[in-house]
Order: sequence, then structure tokens, then C-alpha cells
Amino acid sequence: MIRPWERWWMAAAVAVLYAFLLAPIVIVVLAALNSGTYLRFPPEGLSLRWFVAFAQSRSFTTSLRFSLKLATLATAASTVVGTMASLWIVRFSGRWRNALRVLFVAPLAVPGILTGIALLIFFYAVGWGNTGFLGLVIGHTLICTPYVFLITSAVLLRFDRTLEEAARNLGAGALRTFWRITLPLIKGGIISGAVFAFVASYDEFNISLLLSGVGMTPLPIQLFDYLRFSFDPTAAVAGTISIGLAFVVVLVTQKLVGLDALYLGGG
Amino acid sequence: MGAPGRDVLGVELVQAGAPRERRLPRHAGRHVLIVPALAVLVVFFVLPYLNLTLISLMTPSHRAPYVRVLTLGNYTTLLRDPFTWQVIWHTLWIGVVTTAVCLVISYPLAYHLARAPRRLRGLFMILVISPLLVGVLIRTYGWMILLQDTGLINQTLRALHLPAAPLMYNNTGVLIGLVHVFVPFMVLSIAGTIQTIDPELEFAARSLGAGAWRTFRRVVLPLSLPGVLAGTVLVFVLTISSYVIPSLLGGFTVLTVPLLVVRTVTELFNWPGGSAFAILFFVITLVVVGLYVRAMGRGAGQLPDQGDDR
Amino acid sequence: MAQIVLDHLTKRFGETPAVIDLSLELASGELVALLGPSGCGKTTTLRMVAGFETPTAGRVLLADRDLTDAPPERRNCGMVFQNYALFPHLTVEQNVAFGLEMRAVERAEIRRRVADILGKVGLAGLGGRYPRQLSGGQQQRTALARALVVNPSVLLLDEPLANLDAKLREEMRFYIRSLQREFHITTLYVTHDQAEALVLADRVAILMGGVLQQYGRPEDVYHRPRSAAVAGFIGLTNLIPGRVRTRAAGRVVVDTVLGLVTAAGDPALREGAEVLLSVRPEQLDLVRPGAAPQDGANVLRGTVRERTFLGSLADFRVDVDGGVVLRVQGRPSAMERAGDAVAVAFDAEAAWALPGATS
Repeated sequence: MIRPWERWWMAAAVAVLYAFLLAPIVIVVLAALNSGTYLRFPPEGLSLRWFVAFAQSRSFTTSLRFSLKLATLATAASTVVGTMASLWIVRFSGRWRNALRVLFVAPLAVPGILTGIALLIFFYAVGWGNTGFLGLVIGHTLICTPYVFLITSAVLLRFDRTLEEAARNLGAGALRTFWRITLPLIKGGIISGAVFAFVASYDEFNISLLLSGVGMTPLPIQLFDYLRFSFDPTAAVAGTISIGLAFVVVLVTQKLVGLDALYLGGG
Repeated sequence: MGAPGRDVLGVELVQAGAPRERRLPRHAGRHVLIVPALAVLVVFFVLPYLNLTLISLMTPSHRAPYVRVLTLGNYTTLLRDPFTWQVIWHTLWIGVVTTAVCLVISYPLAYHLARAPRRLRGLFMILVISPLLVGVLIRTYGWMILLQDTGLINQTLRALHLPAAPLMYNNTGVLIGLVHVFVPFMVLSIAGTIQTIDPELEFAARSLGAGAWRTFRRVVLPLSLPGVLAGTVLVFVLTISSYVIPSLLGGFTVLTVPLLVVRTVTELFNWPGGSAFAILFFVITLVVVGLYVRAMGRGAGQLPDQGDDR
Repeated sequence: MAQIVLDHLTKRFGETPAVIDLSLELASGELVALLGPSGCGKTTTLRMVAGFETPTAGRVLLADRDLTDAPPERRNCGMVFQNYALFPHLTVEQNVAFGLEMRAVERAEIRRRVADILGKVGLAGLGGRYPRQLSGGQQQRTALARALVVNPSVLLLDEPLANLDAKLREEMRFYIRSLQREFHITTLYVTHDQAEALVLADRVAILMGGVLQQYGRPEDVYHRPRSAAVAGFIGLTNLIPGRVRTRAAGRVVVDTVLGLVTAAGDPALREGAEVLLSVRPEQLDLVRPGAAPQDGANVLRGTVRERTFLGSLADFRVDVDGGVVLRVQGRPSAMERAGDAVAVAFDAEAAWALPGATS
């Protein structure tokens, strides 16, 4: 039915495209493990010297720690807020549903750099000019919440509500039904959402660029400043850490909810 | 039978003849769920944008970020300045080219992903999602290693005694970087719709005598248009508002609206001017996207439910 | 003593009525099938009994308590859902134990009763499995066990056999019936499958468009339908319009396009009333045209138009004089072929006169 040459053509094209997608990521990892200052072909040899350089660089380790702290707080806040919101929107919103869904995803759809500027000016206007860390946490929470919201909503929409009815029928009250039946079954979605939120915050650039002050430099900002003047593979080590993190996220999500939940368009 | 006293529910039952009331408001407490999210969004998203609009109507000053005197001056200055239009035009051009290239690259990937056997789909999904999770900065750095004058590509060219290609600090580098960053968004959008198209339809078309190309052109493509529409809009909007890639891969040679707005706000401290530029650009983007969605809708004869907020 | 009483129950969703003024009583230990086409309101009715829907008007009484507004968890009615609604994250044992835990039964007692009921439904040894590791029939029995273990005052079944394949469905019908007898539990059984309703139920309630059409023993509902709609919904039937000419001793003589037909009929029917005669295809006999009619039997002349083989039956379409096509079902060994001239015979008991459109 489908002729072989069609299939080969397709496979070849797809392989090239995947190579394009993955190339820069592989390159970053190679650069981090390469012993030379410049990545050459063939490589000069494996070494961990750039990992050592990274670990010894005060500015990088400080911003790594700062990023982790920021991401942890933003994740905690956005997971609670996002999960509650998705529960409400999927279950009780009625005719407000579509409008609210749009509003809740809006922070992802509007230019992040504009949101950063808007927040910067807003904090100043209401006299929170020096909110500093709190401002960053708020900004990151704003960006992370939609991820939690989207993934948890996807899981809730697939949730079979007769399970809750069965629990009620067997004598469990509304609250007990939630803890014993609903929560255990949507847990995977919430965890995936949280993991996504963590990475979103860890990688967030736009908000941080505008809201980070002196002594508060998240890793992406540190990298950005660094890369403007230097290509030294210390940055590649930071990149490799981020890649490792992304890998963990993908595995966790695939295991808990299935990555199909992440389709954007269509249905 | 059974344990006496335990079988009937522990709670006493509602007595017969108790007053009956319809539509009890006994679940009013559940609306608490939405309060935190709504508060965060309204206070830290809606209000700041409204504030941004307001500030764009204030008077710039050298001593403070702005003075509370209303004026349209920021907009008239912008609109009269040919440089503004040059930057806007260039930004939109980059957006269109990136979106088009992304579409061409993403469609085969999306089709392949959506039609992959179930057990392989997870793997391909991982390949698509991973770049998305690595962060723009790291990926841009990867491209810098590849594209710079002493980078891997130019090393290879030199080894082959070919002339070096200027791939970075120009439009080419910016476009490569942007396309790479936004392909996953496009793939996910399109794959989502393709997956909802019954594969039997393609077999049906083939059995009716349509070749591979015509099957695609007449069956798959029209049915996947909602995904294409969503993907192109998303990629276009993300592209024209991106900051990292034009500034790192473009150096100082490529100037886009986000770069100029940030510079106006953080380096020139002209908040009203920057806000006005941001708002102006926002409006232009809305108009461009709106025209595009309408044109697509007319072309396809079927709009995905855009205004369905009854 | 009535165990379930539905008292003038009405449910509207917005403006759309789903159930209209439904009154029904189930005696203790009785199994009643709520039968009707999809969208007739039968599931809505069940959900009102279970407490998942609040009636717009009317009352629900279970074991003589008015539970119209009680939340589902306080009604003590066991329910088996159409998709079983087994908790996927709990094992069979944990699923069955759930209701007992909610009633704060002691651990040891829970263990004993769970083991006991799993033995009764033939799932002993499968208690450690998760629902997805069970076959459809086993899931079904887990759902039954989970509903019954708490000794509910009533049992509600929502199309419990709809997701099983044909052979298993047949088996489960008898199984559910015997289990219900064993527990002597008042049961409301929702189904759209008339055969299931007739086989299982003590009484059948037929619901159409949210309105109760008829409530009675399966035989009565089948042979003595109260309306053309009921006659048409349950089994195949021939409907012949006519007018009552005379009536005597429980018999009516009806004037039809086929001539005069003697039939059984509602004693309330008056002379001159417009009626529909309902005659079941399997109660019609094909005889040779010359054969002498038995006493009291109706005989119609006609021609076989089409003959279809149905396995255990042969199905005939017969053009009878007067321009009516009758369905007749008989043994597959019947000799008649398409084009043969035949007579269709049936005795008065086989025809039932029900009120026609205008009466």
C-alpha cells in the first residue's frame, strides 16, 4: 500500500531533522567533556577539567545555587496554585471555562520579555521597587503556573468521575473521596507538572533579566553575561547540568502521565 | 447478618420528613480553589500590563523613570521615527521567515511522530521534547560553538579548502537559532491534530486512486490545518518576542523590537518610551496574527473555534 | 413493605425534562428492571436513587426513609456501574474493603467479610490483583462483591452487562439473578436490553421519553402491552388497526381491513373504540390454505413474499388479503417458500387489542 521508497524518503528526512534538533545539545555535552579550549574535530580527548573549573568558579556555583533555590520556591508555589486552579476549572467553572483557560495560559502566550518589563515597572509603581528576591519568585511563579495547570488539567479531563461516584456510593464523603481516590490517581499529573515548572523556572531568562538585582543572578543570566564575551567551555558544564535535568524531567513525565499529554494544538 | 450496629452507616441517616431544599449551596467552599490563582494572575499579570499601558502615556524625565503627566508624545515620536519602522519591519520579517522554515521542517516530523507505532512514539516524543527542556541559552551556546568563525562548521570548511562562511553575528545565525528553538512547538501543535485524523482516511484515499502526494494534499493537510494554524501563530509570536537568540547570535548587527525595548527601559531609563514601544508592537502583532488567522480561516473554509466563548 | 419508593419523581436539566412524574414501588427482595431506549431517563432515575442527581420534584424513599436530599454516602445503597468504576490504584481486596473501611468496621472483621464475599463470587485467590489484571467477567464480579459486601439496603445496577461479550452476558444474567436471590436484596436494574429485562426481572418498568409506560410482570408486559409504543419496543409484533365491533366474556371482535378478528382485550375497551391489534410473529401459524380452521381461531389468506432463515427460526413476510404484510415466525423446517399461497392462523388469545391512536 505505501511504497517502500516513500518510507525510505520519509525516514531519511526525519533522521536529518532529528539530527538538527539534537546537534547543539550534543555539541554542548561534547564541549564540556573536551579537554581543549575549543571544540575541534577530531576531539582532543576527554577530560573533566571544565567541570573542575565550573566547580571552582564562585560566580557559577553561586548562581547555580541561587537558581535551584528560586526554582524550588517557584515550583512549590505554582504547583499548589496551579493544581487548585485546574481542579476548579475542570470541575466547577461552567460557562467561564474557556475564558479562564485562556487567561491562565496567557503568561506563556505573551512575550516573556514584555511581562518582565511590565512587572519591573509595576513593582516600582506600587513602591516595591526593591522587592528583589520576592519579585523574582513571583515572576517565576507566574511563568511556571501554566505548566502545572496544563498538565494537571489534561490528567483531570481524562479522569473517570464514576470512580468518585463509586466512592461516594460506598460511604466516603466528598473530602475523603478526594484524598483516597482522586488525589492518588492524579498524583502523576501533579508531579509531572511540578517537574516541568521546576525546569521552566531553572531555564527562565526573560523575567530574570529584568527583575534580578545585585547579588541575585540566576544561572541563565550568569551564562548570558558570560557568553557575550567568552566561549570558554565552563559554560558548557552549566549546559550539561541543565541537559541532565531536562532528561530527568522527560523520563519522569513519560513514566507518570505519558508525553502525549503535551500535544499543544488540535483536540 | 454481619456485625450488629456496624452495618448501617456510622452516620445517622436523614430522617423522614426533614425539610427538603433544592440546589443546596453546600459546596460553596470549593470556590476557594480558584482564589490563589486568580489573585496571582490579576495582581501580577493583568495589573502590570494595565500599568504598562498607563506608563506609556506618561512623560519621560531625566531625573525619574517618568513624570505623572499624561501625553501621547511617546507614541507620536515613535510613529514619526523611520528607525522604529525599520526595526519593526525587520522583526516581523524574521518572524515570518522563521515560522515558514519551522513549518516546512516540522510537518514531516509531526506526521512521523503522530503515525509512529505506539511503543516508538514515546522515544520520538522524547527527542522532540528534550530540546524544549534544555533552555534557550544552552541551545544557543551549542549553536555558537558550531557557527562561530572558528567553530566546527568553519573548521570543516577550511579543512576542505573551501571559503569560510559567516554564520554568526548576522541574520543567518539568528534564523538558524530561532528555527531550532521553535521547531518543537510547531511539531507538538501539528502532531496533536494529525493524531486525531483516522489513518483509515488515508487508506481510503489511496484505495480511491489518490497517490501519496494527492492523499496528503487533499486529505491530511486540510484536516491538520487547525494544528498548523495554532503552531504557526505560536511560533510567530514567540519568535518576534525572543531576546536571547538575536542578542547572542546576532551580536550587535541584528536589532529587533525586544532588544530595543529592553535597551530603552534598562539602559536609557526611558520607561514611558519603552512601554509605548512595547504596546505599539503588541498591537501590531495582534493585527498581524488576526489578519493571518482570518485569511487561513477563509482559505480553509473552517476556522478552529476561535471565538467560542459563549 | 416497599424497599424503594419513587414518589412523583421529576428531573429537568435546564428546560429539558429527563424524568417526568415517575412513581414506582419495589417490594422487599424484588428485582425490577428499568427498561427503555437510550435517553429515556432510566439512568437519570437510577442516579437520583443513588444520590448523584437531585430531583427537581418528588421524593426518593429507601427502606422507609426519605433520602431525597441525602448525599450519596449516606444512602447505603450498593451500586454497580456500567464501566464497573473499580479503583485502578487499589487491589481487588482493597476495592472490596473500601466501603467497609468507610463504615469504620474493624480490621479483622473487614478481612473476614472480604474473604467471605470474594469466595461467594468466585474470586477467591484473586484478591491481590489489580483491576486491570482481571478479565471483564472478573471485574464485573469484583464490582458486585464491592457493592454487596456492605450489606446495602438496596442494590442498583446500571447496565451491568453492557460491556461483556454476548456469551458471557448470557451467563452473567443467570449469575446475577441467583446472587440477588441469595442475598434477597431489593434490586433496581437499568437496561436497554429487553431480553435481559424479561429473563431477570420480577417486574419490568418501561420508561420512554421520561414517562413510565407500563409496570408489570414480564409476561404481562410482553403479551398485554398497554400501548403501541410498548408493544413495538419489546419484541417483534404485528400491529393491525381496527375498531371494536362487539365484546363479550373478555373477548373483543375487531373490524379490520383483514375482516373480523377475535382477540383478547382490555376489559375497559368499549364498542366502537379504535384499537390496534398486536399479534406476535411466533404466535402466528402458517397452514395450508385448504386446512379447516380450528374452533375459535382466526384465519387469514395470503401469499408468502419473503422467507428468511434465522437459525433457530424461519421468518416469513406474508402478504395477506387487505394489503397488510404480516411477520410470521415458525420452525425452520416449515416448507413454505416465497410465492406460495398460505393461510395464517392464530387463536383469539394470541391477539391483543390495545387502545388505538385516537381513543
